[in-house]
This record gives sequence, C-alpha cells and structure tokens, in this order.
Amino acid sequence: MGCWRVSLACVTALWSLTISAGLEQQAPSGQSQQNLDQIYQSLPQTDLSSDRVAPVAHVPQPAPGFARAHVADNPLVPDARPVGEKTCIACHQLETSHFTHTLHALGLHVANRSDPRIPVCEACHGAGSQHAGNPQAKGLIIGYTKNSGTTIEVQTKTCITCHAGGPRDHWVNSVHQLNGLSCSDCHNPMSKFSTEGLMAKASINDTCAQCHTDIRQQFNRRSHMPLPEGQMSCDDCHNPHGASTNTGNPLLNGPLLKTNTVNETCYQCHAEKRGPWLWEHPPVRESCLNCHSPHGSNQASLLVAPVPVLCQQCHAANNHSGALQTRQNIGTGANPEAQVMGRACLTCHANIHGSNAPSGPRFHQ
Amino acid sequence: MPLQSILMQTVPTAAIGFLFLSVAMVTLADSGVGVDTWRANKLDPTGGQATETLDPDGTSWLAPGQRRSPSGNLYQNPTEPPHPGDLSAWQIYGMFDLGYLHSGDQKYVLYDRYTRWPTDGPALGFDVNAERPTDGSYAEARGSRISVEDQYYQAVYGQAGAYKIEAFIRDVPNVLSTDARPIWNGVGGNNLTLPGSLAPGGSSSAQVAAVSAGAPLQRLEVDRKKYGINLSGYLTPAWTAYLNLSDERREGARPYGGPFGEDWGGSLGAVVETVKPISDTTVNLNSGVRYAGQSWRTDLGFSGSFYRDKYLSYSFQQPFAIGTFAPPGSVSAPITVGQMSMEPDNDYYNLHGALTRVLPKNGELSLTVSEVLMRQNDSLIPPTNCQGVIGIGTPTAGSTQLGLQNLGPQNPGLIPCSQWNTTAALSQRTADVNLRNTLVEAKLALQPITSLSVNAGIKYFRQKYDNDYIAYNPINQNYGYLTENGVFFSTFGVPASIANGNALNAANPLPPVIGRIRPFILSMDEYNVYGGVSWKFSERNVLGLTYNFDQYKPTSRERERVDDNSIKLTWTEREIDWLTLRANYTLLKQSGGTYNGDVYGYTYLSALPGFVAAYPSYVPGPGTVDALRKYDIADRTDNKIDLMATVVPHEDMTVTGTVRGEWSRNSAVIGRQRYDTFAATLQWEWQPAPATDLSVYLSYDRSNLDLSNVAGQFGAASGVLGSAGYPLANQWWEGDNERNYSAGTTLQKNFRLFSVALSYNYLYSRGLTSYTAASPGALVYPQDFPTIGSGFSPMTYRVNSVTASVIVPFTPRVSFRLFDYYERGHVDDWHYAGFDQSLVYGHELYTDGGPQSYSENLVGVFISVKL
Repeated sequence: MGCWRVSLACVTALWSLTISAGLEQQAPSGQSQQNLDQIYQSLPQTDLSSDRVAPVAHVPQPAPGFARAHVADNPLVPDARPVGEKTCIACHQLETSHFTHTLHALGLHVANRSDPRIPVCEACHGAGSQHAGNPQAKGLIIGYTKNSGTTIEVQTKTCITCHAGGPRDHWVNSVHQLNGLSCSDCHNPMSKFSTEGLMAKASINDTCAQCHTDIRQQFNRRSHMPLPEGQMSCDDCHNPHGASTNTGNPLLNGPLLKTNTVNETCYQCHAEKRGPWLWEHPPVRESCLNCHSPHGSNQASLLVAPVPVLCQQCHAANNHSGALQTRQNIGTGANPEAQVMGRACLTCHANIHGSNAPSGPRFHQ
Repeated sequence: MPLQSILMQTVPTAAIGFLFLSVAMVTLADSGVGVDTWRANKLDPTGGQATETLDPDGTSWLAPGQRRSPSGNLYQNPTEPPHPGDLSAWQIYGMFDLGYLHSGDQKYVLYDRYTRWPTDGPALGFDVNAERPTDGSYAEARGSRISVEDQYYQAVYGQAGAYKIEAFIRDVPNVLSTDARPIWNGVGGNNLTLPGSLAPGGSSSAQVAAVSAGAPLQRLEVDRKKYGINLSGYLTPAWTAYLNLSDERREGARPYGGPFGEDWGGSLGAVVETVKPISDTTVNLNSGVRYAGQSWRTDLGFSGSFYRDKYLSYSFQQPFAIGTFAPPGSVSAPITVGQMSMEPDNDYYNLHGALTRVLPKNGELSLTVSEVLMRQNDSLIPPTNCQGVIGIGTPTAGSTQLGLQNLGPQNPGLIPCSQWNTTAALSQRTADVNLRNTLVEAKLALQPITSLSVNAGIKYFRQKYDNDYIAYNPINQNYGYLTENGVFFSTFGVPASIANGNALNAANPLPPVIGRIRPFILSMDEYNVYGGVSWKFSERNVLGLTYNFDQYKPTSRERERVDDNSIKLTWTEREIDWLTLRANYTLLKQSGGTYNGDVYGYTYLSALPGFVAAYPSYVPGPGTVDALRKYDIADRTDNKIDLMATVVPHEDMTVTGTVRGEWSRNSAVIGRQRYDTFAATLQWEWQPAPATDLSVYLSYDRSNLDLSNVAGQFGAASGVLGSAGYPLANQWWEGDNERNYSAGTTLQKNFRLFSVALSYNYLYSRGLTSYTAASPGALVYPQDFPTIGSGFSPMTYRVNSVTASVIVPFTPRVSFRLFDYYERGHVDDWHYAGFDQSLVYGHELYTDGGPQSYSENLVGVFISVKL
C-alpha cells in the first residue's frame, strides 16, 4: 500500500513538472517536438523489472482472475518492451484518475504488486516502450479506438486473453463478430461510465442503442417491456457475445438469445406461461413471436396486430371466427360485438396461452 | 410457499447437491445465463449515473479523433472521478440522495405502467462503494426508492478476480388498468361475488349497467417482489463457477375473461370481463462451472425454475338472465356462476454443456448439448362449478324454477351439476404433462489463411410432448366437457349443446356431439445445417456469405415438414477514416410438405375406437377452409436488409444512420398474405467539450400486414373455398398499417454554478386497420354492409416527455438536485370506443375502461451528499 502511494506521489510530482514545462492538456496538436522530447526524457524507469527488486512479502498472491494477465501481444511491435504503469501515468495521469476506481485497476494493482510480471496498463495495451518513444505513431501500442492502428482481431484477442469462455464462449461467428465489432464498441474499462458492467455508455440499454436505435424506439410504444423504466436490460434476453445455438428458424430461435428457443427466453420472467398445459394452443407453444412483438407495440400486451385481426390470420372455421368485424361492431357502432370490444376475442378465450381446465380446450376456462 | 420448501419439494437431490457445491465458488447473472442483469427505476434508469456530473477535465489529452470506439462512436465523456476517504484499509466513496417527490392525484395506466410515482412521498437513492487496495476486496451497496411498490436495494461484496457475492431485493409494479369498474366483491381473491342488488343469473342489462356505472374506479395491478442472491468466483485461473438463486412473488389482480357463450341477439348468452387474482411464486436458479484453458473450454450448467400459484382457479358469479330456446311450458335453469383455471404449478429443469477445442489458425470446434424438462402435474379442477341443475326442463307444477326434483326421463335436457362439479367427473385428477427439449449442436470455425474465415455447423433440436389426458366422465360415462360454464345446456338444451361427447354411452339416448376430447400433441424435430465464409479483401473490408437450412417437422401441424433456406450477405467497411458501414442482406424462402388444414381429427370424439362402428354414417366436417395457410408454416419469401453507417463529420461529432427492412410475402389466399416492416433512424451526437454532451435522433418506423378471410357457414359440408360452406361472396380483405414517428434529444452540460441533464422524447404512432368485403355475407351483421366504411378509425398514440435534472453544488460534497418529469400522452383505441359512456352492452359486461389520455408532471427535490 505504502509503496503504491509513494509511486503515485512521485508520478504526481512528475506530472506537475510536465505541466510546468508548458504542456497543455487539451491541445496536443500544438505541442512542439521539443516539449515532447522533454517529456520522453523525463519518463520514469519501468517498474516491471529493473527498479523492482522483489514483491513485498505480505502481499497476497494474484487473484486467479488476474493470474494469467501478461503483457499483451502487439504484432505490430514485437520488439517493444514493457515500461510499467509509472511510465504510462507520467503522461496519462487523467486516465489514471478515472481508471483507478474500476475493477480492472483494483485487481491488476494487487496482482502487479504480487507478481511484477503482471502489468497494469500493458496487460491490455501491450508493451509501451516504442509508444513512449513515439506516442504519435499509430499501432505502437494496442489502442481501442477507430483509428488506433490496432486491428479488431488484436483488440478482441487481447480482451479474450483473460475473458475467454463463459458468456463469451460463442463469440466466434456470432453476428457481432461477423460484423466486425470490437469489445470496446460496447465496453470502456477506462472509467465507470456505467454503474455496472464497464459499459461504453451509462447503461447496457444505452450501449445497445448506439447501433440499435430503431429497436430502442420500439420500447417507447404503448405496450413494452419495462426497459425504458430501467427495470430490465437487453442482456436479460440477449447475449451480445454470441448465442450458444444457431438462429436456425428465426421464429423458433431468435437472434443472440440466451436460451435455446424464443419461448424459453420468455419463460425466464413469465414462468406462469410455461405450462405445459392440459390444452395447448399450437402457435403459442411454437413461438411467443407468433403473436407478440417483444420490444414494443402500439397494441395491448405487445401484440403484433390488433385483436381480432391478429387471430383472424389463422382462424377461419366458420362465421364466428371468419366473419369480418367492422366499425359497426365496436362500442359506438350499430351492433357491438364482444369479438372486437375491450379484450376482444380474449374476453372469452381468456386462457389463450393454454388452459389447465378440463373444460378448457378452447381456452374458455 | 417458502423458498426452502419449494426447493425441497421440487429440486432433485442431485441438483441440490450440485447447487450447494457451486455455492462455494460462484457469479452474477451474466450475459450468458439468466435475467436480473440490471436494477434501476424510472427515477434513474442508469442506476446511479443521474446524480453524477461530467468531469470538466474529460478523459484524456489525446487528440479528439482518438476518442472513438472502433465502430466510430464517440466514447462517452466521463463523470467526475470519486475522491475516496480512508477508513482503516478501505477507501470509501459514493453518494446519498435524499428527496421528496410530488405528482398529480390522477393515475393513468400508460403513465404508471411500470412506475409507481407517489402523489407525495419521500424518495431515496444511494450508491456506496468501498475498496481495499491491499487485496482487491470491494463492496457496494446501491438502492433507490420511489415508493413501496417501486424500489430496489442490492449489496455486493467481492475480491477482484477472485469471487463476488451479491444480494438484492426489488419491487416492480405492473399496472394493468387505472379505470377498472369491477362490479364484484372480492376483487384480488378467487371468489368474485355479485353485490346484493344483482341476482346471479337473473339480472337485466339495465340493472347490471346501473351497478357498473356506480362501481368505484379501481386500479388493477400486479406487483413483482423479487429476492435474489448471486455468487460467482474463480476456482483456479481457468475454472470458474456461479450460482444465482432468486424468489419472485407476484401479487395483484388483472382484467380477464368470463365466457357464457356469445351474446347472441343480446340475450342468449353472456360475456363478462372478470378480474383474475394474481398470487404466485417463482423460484429460479442458475448454476454452473466453466473452464477456459489454452486448448479447451467448457461450460456446464444447470438451471431450474419452479412456479407455484396460490390458486387452482377462481370463480365468479354471472349477473345476466340468459335467454333460452326452451319450448313452451319449459324453462331453463339459470347459469349463475363460472370459473377460470389458473396457470398450473410447473417445474423447469435445464442441464446444458458446451465443449470447445481450440484449433490451429484461430480455429474452434465446439459441441453444445442441452436437455430441458418442463413438467406439471397440478391438480385439475372439476369441469364446472355450478350447483343444482343446468339445462332445460319442465318445472314442477306451480313452480317456475327447476331443481333436483325435476331430474328424470321426463326432462332429458336437465342434468345434475353433481355429475360434473366434482373431480370424480375426471378421467384423471392431475394433469401429468411433460415437455422435453433436446439440443445437440456442433460448430466449426477455421481460418486457413489470414484473409479467409470459414464456419459450419449442424444442429438437432427435438421437442417431445407427453400428455395422455382424455376428457371422459366416469360418473355418467360421457366423453367431452362442459363448454363455457354449461351455458349451452340452458340456452339450447342438451340435444343442441356442443362438446357433450356422449356418443359411446349407449345408455344415453342423446345424439353425439363431436367435441374435442384429447389434447394436441405438439412434438417436433428441427434439423439445422449452416455454413459461411468471410473474406477480408483488405485490412478493413470484410465480405461474408452464410447459408442456412432449417427443417422443422411438427407432429401436429398442418404441415409435416417446413423447410427454411436462407442466404445472408454481409459487408463491413471500415477503410474510410470517417465511415464505418455495415450492410446485411438476407433472403429466406420457406416451403415444405403438403398443407393439410384438417390435421386435428385425432383429438375429437370421432377418433375414439368404436365410434365409426357405432355411427357408420358419420362424416366429419371440415375444420376450416382449405385455402387457409397459417403464416408461421406457410410458403413464404422474406427479403431483409440491415444497414448501419457511422459517419464522422467532425472530430467532436458522430452521425449514425440505420435502415432496416423486412419484406415478407406469404403465398396464401386465406390468411396472412404480407407482413412488411421498415425502419430508418438518424442520430447525431456532439461533444464539443468534456462537460458538454448533446444528441438528437429522428426515427421512422412502419409495418404493413395484409390478410384475407372468409365467413364460413356453421356446419359447412365442404371446406373448399368457393363451395357453399365457404362462398367466395363471403371473402374479405384487411390491412393493418402502422406508422411510428419518433424524435428526441438529450443534453448534459456543466455550467459555472450548476449542471444540467435534459432529455426530450416524442413518439407518434398511427395504426389504420382497413378492410373491404366481397358482399354483405362477409359480415357478422350483413345489414351493416352499407355503413361499414373502409376501416376502423385510426388507432393513435402520441406521447411527449421531458426529463430535467439540475444539480447545484453547495460544497464539493453536498449538492441540491431538482428533478422534473413531464409526460403528456394521447391514446385513441377503438377497442374501447364508448366505454366512457357504458361498460355494459346487452349481455356483455366490461371491467377495464381502457387506456386514458393524460398529462402529468412529477417534481422531485433532492439533497445529494457525496462521501
């Protein structure tokens, strides 16, 4: 602890020095080469090997989650050598002030003190020596930005080094991977931009809405899942890192779902609809999406179309289910009909998801 | 029922052993399994960020162009970093947000749907963090309270990279109606009784209407209260384990149904919208172990879910005096009560595993296996809850009412309820239904050369449905059931009733009525083969092609085989500095085996062994018109596009545009013919300074659904479209077209003395259901034909909302926050037209008045204290 604080104090002093040397925080493009040279010359020695004799005796072993962290491989600069966090902080003090209170920082700092071979910044950004010597050149350090010079493959591979498997087990060939997304399109571990999950935006939902604005707007409709209210997230149904099973039939198996089928996904919160029922309604058992629009609808109960329109797509048995209902059959019409008013068909066929009543083959009971 | 009891009753011993073994290690609900990935509320949907202010120093002194994600979106400006205080070895930081909320007295379902704003009441928010840098331990307590029905609290303790323990509790309201006028006593319970002013089965429409009009407005809602604990951890650097356990309780009531036949002619039947009680519990658990090594990965898990309902059913008294076709001198026994079964107690077990072998050249070979059992064996309710007698008969001389004393050969149309209102009238006392799902899937990915990736997979999915129920009454040896609470007995008399399958009861002189007596057996097999290639023709340009074949073979649908063939083209372009473009096109063609609309004969009485011998002249009628094609399995062609472009017009701006469209054509004469959706969005984001974020979006979305149907004749002898049973003159066409227009903006900015967060959202939706008919015969009421126009009135929903939050710091740690949320909504839904005047139409009684337009404002004042 003490050692860590001393390091920070040293760096803070160095930072003051660089500021006094005329460095403007927000105007890097205006820096003269002379100023930059001064900075590089003032960088502290690495704390990875040369200036660290041995780990402090009472520091615990690295937590298993960080035990495999190492200096990330940057294929563009195979000869670069690690320089250590102190060196990074010399220029990136501001980043550090935000990064320090993330889970990554907390764990990596402990791991670094336990095993000096485990870096902090360089676990994700690769060895920094060449970058420190020429910070304006692209690709000398692993960057997670659009024009950093680092390929998407290297970015994701670096993250996967520690985050392999589990929820990300099916990242390869997922729709997001095939569309060239990087982990850092959705996550930004440099600060707590979100309360949880180290998301790139303030929440999971806001993060997904970066690209899926049209889907996000569906949640503003008259009936919707409680996502705008913050009561759930896209992640409750979808695994953006890749689904364990292929989409196959898009009706039966929706995109990036967390479970094997559409229905099993819905049952996670709607266990009462799960059945299996004494009397089943075939399209319901097949897929909830036959009748419901999962993100939002301007009909009641997320329905795809108004009832009875919805039901009459499939039911044409006789005059009861096959006749046209018109504006004369609503409450203000000449002949009000229960099939159109209020819950419409569902006032009688109330147990439409299935019935457990012996007298319920038509979902009346 | 307590969680422990449910677990002990339902979870197999092996599962419990596995579960508690996992406790020693365990994780949070993550993106791979389970729900509860986010806890927040409408006061702050981000769960804590609303009380933060942007850091004027920003993130970096790097060039602005380097503050973009790989896809080109601007990275968000960070909020001010915490300034922790020391407490022993711990560093403490966080905030408390104490305040008071005030909103209007009126409550509206669309405004309150998932939020319970108080009229006046205290509000609370907090997020307290503790970190111990010496060993990486951390703790967090976070929560927010809007009201008793809308609040959450959670606590987390863990060690970075080692383990994490989380416990939470949350209350989520779900408002179903704010203008319900139930006429019954006992709303929220399972026995709805009429007030003394209404005679069950004996009241006129006017009497019911008077009671309905005088019934007080009630709010019907279901509150969800959930408790959970999540554990996760590393066993070794490669092995992790997790366990998530939750218990959710739902309490409340919702509008529901209550059929007593149709309201034929305004007197022969009745339809009542009842109020269903909700009182249930669901215990969920997810557990598993995962291994991620250099060469192998595996993911083994068990999930279980156990649903328990407090009620088997609920009963309700029926007020209307239902008419009858009783011959002169006879009367009908009044139908006074009905019942509705509740959802059955059910169990869900899911055992799943995945094994992946890492191959050379960035290759992977994986195998996924999953076995799911959904089971319920809940007690069955009797076929009816009537008492005394039902049906038509001649009363005792001098009396106008029927009773048990009138039973006998002289009144063949009168039956005792005791033959049907007991579980002894069932062939089995419990449901005993099982559904098993089996999944096996293998995937292969290879990268033979740097610029080329190939992938392939094969999947088999099987659903096996077991249900041997048969609707047979051992008491009177009748097959079938009493439909719609027995109303047909009293309206038409037994000889004309439906679904009284007494065909094989030789002692019963009544003719057979061919009703359903067996369930649909909904088993299926699905076979899926797919493969694709990705060609990186330059460092930042990738083309992809994927082919997918899916064959779905249901055992009890109109097609024995449904084939999906699809190809998907993908192009990702990132070469141009100021552009990221993603384009996807999918073509799907669905076809399959012969379509047979009459496949459910095996569930009817006529399929019983011996039926044909007993009734050799019986010829089954058509189940439906032969030209009907149900859209999920009909021949279909889909064209789908998905375009996303992220443009960098300036170093501090991003413009994102998306276009998504799907054009689906069904080859159906009767049924769904077309379903098209299209959406386009445009989004502009600007970060001129670290403490200024501005964004604007526009969105357009539309859908078009076309269908055709035909009004058939009862008892049609032929199902051929154009025959007497389904004449072309009775055909009609309908289109449901919906347009959505959205716009909005957000602003977050620090000023010298205060900071502001503003957002505005607008949505206008307009749905138009239009129709045409070949002739008056297409209508329920042919006489309406001249006045039906071209469609229903537009169904519209327009909502404007503004959220404003102003934070005024008093000191570096203490600030004042003013919060205001204004929302104005207008809704017009023809389903509820006229409901503001009356909820009673003939023998139809409605309870829910439907969604209301509204204009509401909420104000909150808070004192925020940073630790």
